[in-house]
Amino acid sequence: MSAVTAEATTFRWSPMRVATGLVLLGWAVMFTTLWLTGRTYLYLSSRTAWLVPMGAAIMSVAAIGRLWTARTANDEPLEPRAAWALGVIALPVVLVLALPPSALGAFSAGKRSTFTGSAIGATARDVTGPLDFVDIGAAQSFPDAMQQLEARAGQPITLEGFVTTDASAPPDEILLTRYIVTCCVADATVAQVRIVGLPPGNYPSDEWLQITGAVYPVGREVLVAANTVQQIPVPSQPYLTP
Amino acid sequence: MATTRTEPQAAPPAPPRAAQERTWLWVTLMLVAVALFARFGHPMQIAWLRNLLIIFGSLLIEAMPFVALGAVVSATIEVFVPASSFARMAALPRALQIPAAALAGMAFPVCECGSVPVGRRLARKGLSPAAAVTFMLAAPIVNPVVIASTFVAYRGRDSQWLMVGGRFVLGMIVAMCVGWVIGARAPGELLRGATVTDEADDHDEPRGRRFIAHLSGDLVFMARFLIVGGLVAATIQTFVPASVANRLAALPVLSILAMMALAFFLSLCSESDAFVAASFTAFGPSAQLAFLVFGPMLDLKLGALYVGTFSKGFFRTVLIVVTAVTLVACLWMQVIWG
Repeated sequence: MSAVTAEATTFRWSPMRVATGLVLLGWAVMFTTLWLTGRTYLYLSSRTAWLVPMGAAIMSVAAIGRLWTARTANDEPLEPRAAWALGVIALPVVLVLALPPSALGAFSAGKRSTFTGSAIGATARDVTGPLDFVDIGAAQSFPDAMQQLEARAGQPITLEGFVTTDASAPPDEILLTRYIVTCCVADATVAQVRIVGLPPGNYPSDEWLQITGAVYPVGREVLVAANTVQQIPVPSQPYLTP
Repeated sequence: MATTRTEPQAAPPAPPRAAQERTWLWVTLMLVAVALFARFGHPMQIAWLRNLLIIFGSLLIEAMPFVALGAVVSATIEVFVPASSFARMAALPRALQIPAAALAGMAFPVCECGSVPVGRRLARKGLSPAAAVTFMLAAPIVNPVVIASTFVAYRGRDSQWLMVGGRFVLGMIVAMCVGWVIGARAPGELLRGATVTDEADDHDEPRGRRFIAHLSGDLVFMARFLIVGGLVAATIQTFVPASVANRLAALPVLSILAMMALAFFLSLCSESDAFVAASFTAFGPSAQLAFLVFGPMLDLKLGALYVGTFSKGFFRTVLIVVTAVTLVACLWMQVIWG
């Protein structure tokens, strides 16, 4: 990079500042890309999605400001330790931008705790609306919510989720799963419902299905008797917000 | 880099320029290799790696904007608030400073990642370390956004008010206890020596330039610790099922300790952890409360941030005081409310 002379002191591009500016610029580009492509929803819930444009804005200001003020009279070499630290900071940017977009899959379903419904059926949820995973999660955790669902036994339901295979299940049964995310995927909890009476076929793990059927509370579990099954692409918002 | 400089007399001779350029090259090569593997190595077809990468990415995508917001506040304090106003506060009796700092946390609606750069800045700027630490620990628990999310997570349950009120009160108490133990330590004893950005401290520079220097300095400083902590937390979340703690749920003291350990390893944001705490229905309210108070004060990513920001003993002090006070308070709750 060329040295620029100004009156008495010599101002040079500081390698340290340029490198810092470029790494911050990387973060700004990453946040902007997530925001514009809608890939935010692979990582955050709809409730916290606003963080991404805010991150993009602050990182842009910091990056442009740093590059703008990158010429200095002092000697500021990029020391090896600092260079590696900046490399580590750039690593998540490279990963997020280079990885093919995908959502949290079936692997995690057995390792996370079960969604219990932040809104517990009877008191907080409008139970006259269409039924969904959140109602079923609440019913499977709380007797009150289950009682309420029992009053609606046999009613139609449409669910979208991915398949988690259950080795012990008969061939016409699957567990349909959806993650419930409050802020980011790290806090995901699992909402699962057993689908019965499926047309015989192969339902591999992680395949997304849309199922219409009728809902039946049986003991402490909720079953859905399938009428139609359709393979669907991963939804643009793969996680539900409680 | 300015932030890693040691005292001038102790400074090692600068490595020759050729060596610097070689490092730069290696770092770039590493990033390119990672990008090529991520793009063409089909890492998303390996189930555990896919889950690890998504959780890692999402922890950072959520935490970095909060750190950035904290860095903006921190740089604003540094550049635009005169040091004399902090000196006046520092002159007040400590018995007044500590509760005031805990209450001030209510006015700062960010989670724990945002409050660390602010706490660090307040201590550097001349607020007494006890007050700065109390503020830093209390803010992520007692601010209105976190109170509201706890309220929503426990909606419809018998323990709702116990959780919302208990979290607020116990959060205040624990933060003040740590502040009291930190006591009369000088700012120099609290902060790690090598965190001074000398470029940014040149007061002859115009304010805009100093603001940018502090903002980018704080971001780069915090980010690396956050990334290390986030990677460890994502690995644990990927391989360790959350149900490991369940067998301890019925045991009185161990259930509380188990929930604190879980909060430490999961490293959740204080704005969302109530939903996860509420999902541990096997545990009683006192153990869930321990999770909600301990997590925002100490977890893997915060641990990494503390070790990078504060002096050696700080992490130990926080660990001991937060664990002890939370445990004792939650045990009393268990006795009273079951």
